[in-house]
Amino acid sequence: MIFLSRLRFRTKINLGLTLIVVFTALIIALFVTSMASEALVDQTRKRGKVLAGNLALRAEDPLLSTDLLQLESMVNEVKEADDEIIYAFILDDKERVLASTFREGFPVQLREANSSGKQINAIMIDTGSQKIYDFAAPIFISEKNLGTVRIGLSRAGIQSVVQNLIFAISALTGAVLLVAVLASTHFARRMTFRLGTLQKHAVDIVRTHLGPEISNESTHENNHNSSRKNLKGDEIQELTETFDAMAMNLESHIEDLEITETNLTRQKELLKTIINVSPDYISLIGPAYTYLAVNKPLAKHIGKTEEEIIGLKDEDLFSTHEALVRTEEIRKVLNTGKIINKETREQDDNYSTVRWFHTIRVPVYSESSKIIGVLSTSREITELKSYQAQLIQSQKMESVGKLAGGVAHEINTPLGIILGYAQLLQDDISPDDQISKDLKIIEKQARVCRKIVSDLLGFSRQTESEKTEMCFNNSILEVVQLVSHTFKLEHIEISTKLDDRFPIIHGDPEKLKQVWLNLLSNAMEAIDDQGSIQITTILDISTMTITALFADTGHGVEPQKIGSIFDPFYSTKPVGKGTGLGLSVSFGIIKDHGGSIEAISPLPKSILAGMNAPDDTGPGTLFKVVLPLDAISAVEQVMNTGSV
Amino acid sequence: MLKLKFLIPTVLLLLGIALYLRGQGLDENIVKVDMSVREEIRVPEPEPAITYAYLPQYSHKVSYQRHNKLIEYLSQETGLSIRQVFPNTFEEHRRMVEKGDIDISFSNPMTYIRIANGGAAAFARIIEPSGSPTFRGQIIARRDNRFIHKTKDCIGKSWIAVDPLSAGGYLFVLGLFLDNGITAADFKEIAFAAGPGGKQEKAVLAVYAGKYDFASIREGTLDIVKDKVNISKIKVIAETKPYPSWVYAARKDLDPNIKELIANAMFKLSMNDPEQAEILKQAGIRGIIPAQDDDYNSIRTLAEELGLNNYQKKERRVKE
Repeated sequence: MIFLSRLRFRTKINLGLTLIVVFTALIIALFVTSMASEALVDQTRKRGKVLAGNLALRAEDPLLSTDLLQLESMVNEVKEADDEIIYAFILDDKERVLASTFREGFPVQLREANSSGKQINAIMIDTGSQKIYDFAAPIFISEKNLGTVRIGLSRAGIQSVVQNLIFAISALTGAVLLVAVLASTHFARRMTFRLGTLQKHAVDIVRTHLGPEISNESTHENNHNSSRKNLKGDEIQELTETFDAMAMNLESHIEDLEITETNLTRQKELLKTIINVSPDYISLIGPAYTYLAVNKPLAKHIGKTEEEIIGLKDEDLFSTHEALVRTEEIRKVLNTGKIINKETREQDDNYSTVRWFHTIRVPVYSESSKIIGVLSTSREITELKSYQAQLIQSQKMESVGKLAGGVAHEINTPLGIILGYAQLLQDDISPDDQISKDLKIIEKQARVCRKIVSDLLGFSRQTESEKTEMCFNNSILEVVQLVSHTFKLEHIEISTKLDDRFPIIHGDPEKLKQVWLNLLSNAMEAIDDQGSIQITTILDISTMTITALFADTGHGVEPQKIGSIFDPFYSTKPVGKGTGLGLSVSFGIIKDHGGSIEAISPLPKSILAGMNAPDDTGPGTLFKVVLPLDAISAVEQVMNTGSV
Repeated sequence: MLKLKFLIPTVLLLLGIALYLRGQGLDENIVKVDMSVREEIRVPEPEPAITYAYLPQYSHKVSYQRHNKLIEYLSQETGLSIRQVFPNTFEEHRRMVEKGDIDISFSNPMTYIRIANGGAAAFARIIEPSGSPTFRGQIIARRDNRFIHKTKDCIGKSWIAVDPLSAGGYLFVLGLFLDNGITAADFKEIAFAAGPGGKQEKAVLAVYAGKYDFASIREGTLDIVKDKVNISKIKVIAETKPYPSWVYAARKDLDPNIKELIANAMFKLSMNDPEQAEILKQAGIRGIIPAQDDDYNSIRTLAEELGLNNYQKKERRVKE
């Protein structure tokens, strides 16, 4: 088997074809000669029977007339007519030879070798030197046997025909074999040539595209013959080895590809995660205005899954107006390549909250610098906008404060002189005198002016404040005690829920009391008939702040006015009833303490529920004051309470 | 290489089948014969017996078939050894009777009057299948032959006859023509059926095939040929007068006792006995009755008319 596998492909084909042809010829020769000889034997039998039968018929008359001469001539004629007839003779009913073709005496044993019944009988006679088919035909007339005709046919004729047939088949086989070998050689040469080409090609592929050349140098022209000796098989074997090498290289490349694919997948996942984690609304729209990709926040904002959105257009997702605007912007980016950078205000209806978005639309370029899409990122900037508004407010306040402070400072000195001179003049004049009364009015009004100026100075923090460590709760309780009696008369309940950890802050107690008094008086004025005020303090260690909440059940503040209530001289009261500086001054004081103050109206329900408010009370207002804790006191707080 | 596992047994199996089939052809019943042991052939001498010959009107085979059973019967009945011999021609038959090679001759009347001249004597004659001890000659033509309706219509036509020496098949008819004033020269052609046997049949077939215009045959021939020829297409134009039927004659110098024995055995044959009826039927006769030479004078007269005696005399002179 090893020897066979070592043979060249061409030799194998030739060997195989030769085997097939020879084997086929052998089978054909065996079958055909067998069948032919069988047919010939059969034919010979029939011929012999016919000859013997004919001779028997013809011999009837001469036999009856005992015409021996005619019988003799008849058997001789039969013998001469056919080369294959060895002998012919006629016996009478007593087995006596009447005529025969034997010149040199009649073979004694031949007479009894074959006998006929009523039919022609055929046997084979072996004389030692040859084989003869012997036919015995009876001569019957009126059911009486008058004699027998015997004819001997040589088998040599049949044998020679069979031999000729075998020779012909052999010659034909030889010729076919020659043609087959020539054809197969040609065919195998072409095939091996192509196989060789294929193998060379495969090696080239391995060498050029799949990495280093295979160690076997069989394809190298110069080493072709020498390397062939080292090979164990034929061209197909060589090809197989080349393909094995190619397969190995392919396998390693596929592994590399798999690793790359894994990396890419990971990167893709990472990118997707980043995009999805981003709070911004990110989308990629293709040149056909269809969504190619969206991130999770955008999908959630639209109210569909990412898969549902991909392939849709803006008109499928947004209202007609909005879709029109978006499509127009995308068209602009796609056509011009200019970046769109804008802020938009969104409000679903008049009562819902306003949301601000900062949207950037940038074109996406392909390798051939062609715009293939638009990447949009949209960020919600509502909070930023709010801070922006607050900043503007505080700047405005600061400017107003500075102005008012400057003016007050200038007015303060002449006011002091006016007050001083008014008092001096009163000393000179009797108190009952009209002039004294007038002076008193001047003094009183001058004091009012001085109060206003003092407030203005306080608002603009131009008054000196003396900050000390103080108890936050105590400053509130002192004010509550001061006003509680007056408030009771007005049917207003003041309740306190103060944090019992007694937060300590670094502040000016007098000024803070002024703030609390301002807030409480504002609350009282907001309550028409009766109501309640609740003061809550909450210590927050984590942010190091203390929060004071002043909730009242008054008529509240309209939403659109709530942004203006801290403005100087803003007042809802009639002229002469208030200066409109209370909240502005409070704002200034709190800011001076590094804290913040804001108003919320209507009152949050959770707080309103905790107050014993009458049913017909207004929406109420909540003032929230947040002040930073004193650093030292905070540590003490922690140590005292043991909590963080 | 796995294929070899299956290939080799397949090849061997096919070879085995081929060899088996080849062996079948060689299977013969072989008899061994030593051809070197030889002997000279001696011509077998016929055993001494009474020879019986049937004028070769038909082939030897037919002659044998017709008379074989009769001869067996006579052998059995007389206790004599009787053997049928087969002369090839009428003439040979006559010569053999004269030479004494035929002891008992069964011949037509024409031949008889010739062998009677050589000393043979009639002792029996047959009753024809028709029941008569006489027979006639007939002139036949195709039924669709529009030109031949009676004897005289035969003038100028072609004639196929059985044999120049045939009684019913030629000479009787020739006599009939002579009686009508027609001589042999009046015919376009007179042909005789070729070959040694089956001449009556051949004459009928020749007319049937249209080769000749008319034929002369022995009465009763049409019955014999009815299996070979559609005899409805044949018409009988004329018949001769009846002549005494075929005759059994003993050669000159045959032992009268033997003749007596044989004659008696012949006369005993009867159609009433089924076995004997079978013998008679096969021989184409109905019975055998005694006869004598005078019964055939009418034939001698006819021969005279036809000038056959001259021919016979001439023949005798040539012999002498």
